[in-house]
Amino acid sequence: MTSLWPIAFITFKEGIRNRAIYGITLFALLLFGATALVATMVPREVGKVSVDMALSTISFSGLLIVLFVGINLMAKDLDKRTIYTVLARSVSRPQYIVGKFLGMVLLITVTTLSLSVMAMAATFILKMTHAEFFTRFSWSMIALSVFLTTLMLILLSAVSFLFASFTSTSFITLVLTIITYIIGQSISGVKALIESPPQALGFTVSPVTMKLVQAAYYLFPNLSLFNIKLQAAHDLPVATSYVVWTVLYGVVYICLAITLAALIFRKKEFP
Amino acid sequence: MRRLFLIILVLIAGYLHVVFLGKASEEMKKLPQGDDHAFILPSPILKVAALEYQGLASDVLFLNSMAFIGETQERKERPRVKEWEWRWWLKTLDAATDLDPYFFDPYFYANAFLPWDAHMAEETNHLLEKGSRYRNWDWMLPFFIGFNDFFFLQKNVEAVPFLMEASRRPGGEPMLASIAARLAFKENQTETAIFFLEETVRRTDEESLKKIYETRIQALRSIAILEKGVASYKKKFGKLPPTVDELVHRNIINKLPLDPYGGTYFVEQDGKVRSTTSSDLEPYISPAMKSFH
Amino acid sequence: MITIKGISKVFKEGITGKRIMALEGLDLDIPKGEVFGFLGPNGAGKSTTIKILMNLIFPDTGTATIAGKDVQIPEARKRVGYLPENPYFYDYLTADELLWFGGKTAGLTPSTIRERSDFLVQKVDLDNARRRPLRTYSKGMLQRAGLALALIHDPDVIILDEPMSGLDPVGRKMVGDLLVELKQQGKTVFFSSHILNDIERFSDRAGIIIKGKLRLVDSLTNILKGNKNLEDVFLREVASAEGGVAA
Repeated sequence: MTSLWPIAFITFKEGIRNRAIYGITLFALLLFGATALVATMVPREVGKVSVDMALSTISFSGLLIVLFVGINLMAKDLDKRTIYTVLARSVSRPQYIVGKFLGMVLLITVTTLSLSVMAMAATFILKMTHAEFFTRFSWSMIALSVFLTTLMLILLSAVSFLFASFTSTSFITLVLTIITYIIGQSISGVKALIESPPQALGFTVSPVTMKLVQAAYYLFPNLSLFNIKLQAAHDLPVATSYVVWTVLYGVVYICLAITLAALIFRKKEFP
Repeated sequence: MRRLFLIILVLIAGYLHVVFLGKASEEMKKLPQGDDHAFILPSPILKVAALEYQGLASDVLFLNSMAFIGETQERKERPRVKEWEWRWWLKTLDAATDLDPYFFDPYFYANAFLPWDAHMAEETNHLLEKGSRYRNWDWMLPFFIGFNDFFFLQKNVEAVPFLMEASRRPGGEPMLASIAARLAFKENQTETAIFFLEETVRRTDEESLKKIYETRIQALRSIAILEKGVASYKKKFGKLPPTVDELVHRNIINKLPLDPYGGTYFVEQDGKVRSTTSSDLEPYISPAMKSFH
Repeated sequence: MITIKGISKVFKEGITGKRIMALEGLDLDIPKGEVFGFLGPNGAGKSTTIKILMNLIFPDTGTATIAGKDVQIPEARKRVGYLPENPYFYDYLTADELLWFGGKTAGLTPSTIRERSDFLVQKVDLDNARRRPLRTYSKGMLQRAGLALALIHDPDVIILDEPMSGLDPVGRKMVGDLLVELKQQGKTVFFSSHILNDIERFSDRAGIIIKGKLRLVDSLTNILKGNKNLEDVFLREVASAEGGVAA
């Protein structure tokens, strides 16, 4: 187990120095700047719009990091054979997967935290200059929202590890992860829609579709659970029990994905 | 020598590039364009398509709707906005508030234009009721509903519970309760309307919207003066004056107040004063009057 | 020290699933302290053998052990240093960080890592570049960094896959001197090459493998007995593997 930390650490270092991180950070900064412009266009709810934009930017930047830096980290190992460097040491395949994943967790946490600090600085300035329009504003709700978003990104990353353990190219891993993200974010809404009475929809749903959607709901991660941006923007209450159950769900799903990835990876060869 | 030739070539290419781009853009404008204001996706689909960015999507839709209003103010033709455009605009705000039902600005803007310009008070109240349910700390939304019921829909009884609700919510004037009481009696309606609008103006920050409301208040003040005059005239002479000019001739009032929308005032059977104006915003024209035009 | 018993490996090529016999019934024993040169033409199965020893590929049949431990468990690699054929490293790490990683995973203490890093970096002449990211390294420098990584934990067994490939004469001299030094320290070295001269100069024993089958294993002295030339020996084995007549 002593090998987990060195693997995690070099994974983190390699990730954080990736050129893409600079690009994504620059992009995020531009968006934070744009927040100042766009939020003030709204007559009243300047506070809500700046929180919307700040949290959305953090989410989206985090997503870019998971998709392009995260998957690239695994891809480099598998495509470019840098994995020899690690597997030649006395580490087992499962240790490799877990160590790498912990490195990803560190990367996601550090980058999300940095982006949040920048976002909060931008929001703080806006709040100082437009105090009257920040009537319902809560730093703690925003912090909670960022925490859940971070957990969601870690979950998505775990799923990408699972895909990487059995696909042959990093491109397929990327496509599968994007699909999982889209389904994960929308499946809850689609399920609710499908299950609502036919009059509301204007068409009837076949039982096959119904079963498919319900299966997808349990198979794919329900990522919309981790989205409390609306509550953060309006300082609406979020029950502690909701947070607890959601975090537990996330942790369990992550463990399942990584365990499965480690098991599959044990059979992988590197000719 | 060769270098010079290349430089000249690049300059000519650059010039031609600008010329051709201009020509092509001009031609593109002549192509039949799709209509921006015909269609909006139904809310459940928007919600799913927005993934985790529903708040942001709501903001975008709202800013879009604001841009539309801004654009219409520039228009020369009358009526400025077509009926189906108002319908699209309402749908946009409805979608924005489906994505984020706690977002105040769409409700405020819907209420600023739809009951007045589009004669869609009923639909506006439907929207506002959604807002009032979610924003249960906000006194302004039930306040608007009450006003619309009273002023546009002549549903004074229905207005009462909303005004009572408004008076109970934080920031709501307790005076609203007494206004509610007044509504039960059909007197001094114009004054009541002025009071409502002044409350609204006080909480409007956007300059152009403020001006619009102030013009409406001005119009109502003129009517209030005339209606008082008509009542005095009736008391004095036992009948209604045939025209508003009569009020000046008979020295009931000093001079004729101006209609800020440029119309002329006349007296109705029931003693109410109305304007002939077919103004931009057509305020305070009852449904019966519209058939006149 | 290294035992290979009855190892076979078949690769399936492409969509058609054409089967390629990469290794067939390989038996080999390397005693402690020996420098063994594995000679063969390209595609003979040298890399495959090494990768099976490093548990990067799994054999279809047979077993292999290093220092008595089955190669499929991580412990077998605790005292093993490995240099792959074309070493790839993480672009943005520095040589220092790479060696830190190697030392940490081998269980070395931070002070030991520092000591050995300093020593090895000097030895492979990467002192100036040690704090630069690996992506800025030339091929020769990468090979040397790989050597340092392979030796950071002072392993008993060193496995090198084509260690001289792509090196300039200076680099080749450095690797050669290293091989001699390792032998003097009593280490067990297993290296593969298709360059006859290298096998001749450094091996105690050599094995010739052609098309997945081990044709000849003997000490260098025996192979070259009677003023024989290694090239002739090698070509004769190649010819007989093809089923042709010796020149």
